[in-house]
Amino acid sequence: MASADKLINTDVPEKDVFAFHFLQSLSNLRKQNPFDTPDQKNYRVRKIKKAAYVSMARAAGGSSRLWSRALLRRAAKDDNKIVRFSRRKRKVTWKISSKRRRSNQRAPVVEEAAERLRNLVPGGGGMETSKLMEETAHYIKCLSMQVKVMQCLVDGLHYNKN
Amino acid sequence: MDNELFMNTEFPPPPEMATHFEPPPSSSSAMMLNWALMDPNPHQDSSFLWEKSTEQQQQQQSIFDSALSSLVSSPTPSNSNFSGGGGDGFLIRELIGKLGNIGNNNNNSGEIYGTPMSRSASCYATPMSSPPPPTNSNSQMMMNRTTPLTEFSADPGFAERAARFSCFGSRSFNGRTNTNLPINNGNNMVNNSGKLTRVSSTPALKALVSPEVTPGGEFSRKRKSVPKGKSKENPISTASPSPSFSKTAEKNGGKGGSKSSEEKGGKRRREEEDDEEEEGEGEGNKSNNTKPPEPPKDYIHVRARRGQATDSHSLAERVRREKIGERMKLLQDLVPGCNKVTGKALMLDEIINYVQSLQRQVEFLSMKLSSVNDTRLDFNVDALVSKDVMIPSSNNRLHEEGLQSKSSSHHHQQQLNIYNNNSQLLPNISSNNMMLQSPMNSLETSTLARSFTHLPTLTQFTDSISQYQMFSEEDLQSIVGMGVAENPNNESQHMKIEL
Repeated sequence: MASADKLINTDVPEKDVFAFHFLQSLSNLRKQNPFDTPDQKNYRVRKIKKAAYVSMARAAGGSSRLWSRALLRRAAKDDNKIVRFSRRKRKVTWKISSKRRRSNQRAPVVEEAAERLRNLVPGGGGMETSKLMEETAHYIKCLSMQVKVMQCLVDGLHYNKN
Repeated sequence: MDNELFMNTEFPPPPEMATHFEPPPSSSSAMMLNWALMDPNPHQDSSFLWEKSTEQQQQQQSIFDSALSSLVSSPTPSNSNFSGGGGDGFLIRELIGKLGNIGNNNNNSGEIYGTPMSRSASCYATPMSSPPPPTNSNSQMMMNRTTPLTEFSADPGFAERAARFSCFGSRSFNGRTNTNLPINNGNNMVNNSGKLTRVSSTPALKALVSPEVTPGGEFSRKRKSVPKGKSKENPISTASPSPSFSKTAEKNGGKGGSKSSEEKGGKRRREEEDDEEEEGEGEGNKSNNTKPPEPPKDYIHVRARRGQATDSHSLAERVRREKIGERMKLLQDLVPGCNKVTGKALMLDEIINYVQSLQRQVEFLSMKLSSVNDTRLDFNVDALVSKDVMIPSSNNRLHEEGLQSKSSSHHHQQQLNIYNNNSQLLPNISSNNMMLQSPMNSLETSTLARSFTHLPTLTQFTDSISQYQMFSEEDLQSIVGMGVAENPNNESQHMKIEL
C-alpha cells in the first residue's frame, strides 16, 4: 500500500500493526467485562466498535493524522479521559477562515460533497477541502485495513468454533 | 580574464577570488559573483570559500549593497572592469536581484538566489551540463544562508547560465533599470533563446525536482501574504523569470503547495502577463508580486495561464482547484470502481458511499465479533496481557521493529510450532526462548527478558503476520487461539482438547 505520490503521503502501516492494536483493545475489553450477559449485547457491540476505531486510530499513526487525533479525542471525551497530543506546528489558520468566508465561491458541487465527507470522516470539520481529501484517502486506507483484520479475526474464530 | 573564467566551466583558482575579497567593493562584489557563479569547484576550495564567507557575511552584504549601487549608477564603467561585456549584464542583473532581496530580507536567501538564477536561465540558449552540487554549495556559500539544497538542486542550468552570460550585450542590462524586468523589451533573440532554454532546462529541472513537482500545466508563483507596500516596491519581475527556480525556492516548506516548475508553452505570454500583473494588480491585496520578506516556504507561486484571468483570487481558486483535483485522483485509485465514473460530483458521491460502506462493515464485524468473542478470546487475555506488559508505550515502534526483523519463513514456522507446543509443555519454553532470541533482538529485549513465557507470542504474532500478507486461517488460529495448532493437520485436534 505504498503511496505513489510523494507529495501526498498516505502510507499506512502493515496489517499486523492494526491487528495488534485491535487485539490489545479487545483483551482490555475482555478484562473489563469478563462476563457478557446477553442483554448487554448492544453495549458490548458498541464497545467493540469503539475499540476497533480507537485501535485503528492508534495503529494508523496516532497523532500524525488529523482524523486519528479527532477520533481519539472524541473517544477519550466519551470516557471522560483526557487525551494529550504532542504539540505540532500548526500551520497558519487564516486559510480556514478564508475558506469559510468564501466558501460560496468555491465550486458548490465539490463543496457540498465535501460537507458530507466532513460528517463522515472524523475531524473533518476544521479542514479545508484539499486537506480533507488527503485525510479521507488515509482514512479509507486505514478503514479497509481494519476491516480486513476484523474479517480475518472473525473468520478465524468462527472456524475455530466449528 | 574574467570572461574566461565564466566560459570555462572549470573553476578558476578560487584563492584568487578569496584574496580579492577585501578590495574595492565593486570589483570585489563582481569577483564574488564570479566566484559564486563559478562552476564545479573542488570541495576543498568550496570549503575554503565557505569559511571565508561565513566570516565575512555581513561584510559581504554590505559590499553587495555598495556594489549594487555602484553598478546601477554606472553600468558602463563597471562593464569596463570586466573583459566580457555580456557577462556584466548578467552579473549585474544577478547582483541587483540579489541585493534587492538582501535589502529586504536577509533570511530569504533561497528566494534571493532563486530568482536571478531563473532569470538567467531564460537568457541562455543551450543548456550545458554541469554538476549541480558544487554549484549549489557555491551559491549557498555566497548567500551565507542555510538554504536547503533542494532550491539549488533544481538549478542545474546555473552553470550553463554562468557559461552563457556572454551572449548578453550590455543593452540587456540597460534595458532594465529595475532588477528583474522581463526580457521582452528589446531582446527577441533573448526571448527566443529564453524559450529554448526553458524547454531545455526543464527536463533537467524535472529530473531533480520531479518528486516534489506537481504536474500542473502551469507555472506557479504567487505570493499570498505579501504586504501591499512591499509588493508595490519590489519588482514583480523577480518572480517573472523562469518559474522553476522561484518555485524551487518555495518548494521547501510547502509540500504540495508549490506548483510545477514545468512550463508548457506560452512562455513569452507569461512575461507579458507579468507586466499585466504588475500594472493591473497594484491594488490587489494578494498580488502576484514576489518580493515577500517572509520566508518563502508558505508561498505558493502561481502564474496566470495564457488567456486566463490574472486576478489573484482567481489564481488562488485555480490553485485550489488543482489541488483538489489532484487529490481526487488519489482517491480515485483507492476507491474501487471509481474509474468509470467521470466528474467530480459523481466521484465524490462514490467516495462517500465507499466510506459509509466501510464504516458499516466495521460495525457489522464488531457485532459479529461480540457474538464470537465470549468463548474465543479467553485465551487471548493471557497472551495479550503479556503483550501489554512487554510493550511499554511505543507500540508503533515495536511494530516497526517487528516488521523489520527479517526471519526466514522456516524460522517462523519453527517458532510457531514451538510456540504452539509451548502452551502445553513447559520444557519447550527455554528452547523457544532461545529460538526467538534473534527476532527479539530487534524488539525490546530488555522487556522480553522477563520471565513471561508468553512473550514470544507477540514476536510470533508480528513475525508470522508479517510473513503472510493475508491472514490464513491456520495463522489466525495459532495467533488468536494462543495454543491453537498452527498446523491444523496434526495438532488441531490436540489443540481442540485444550480449548
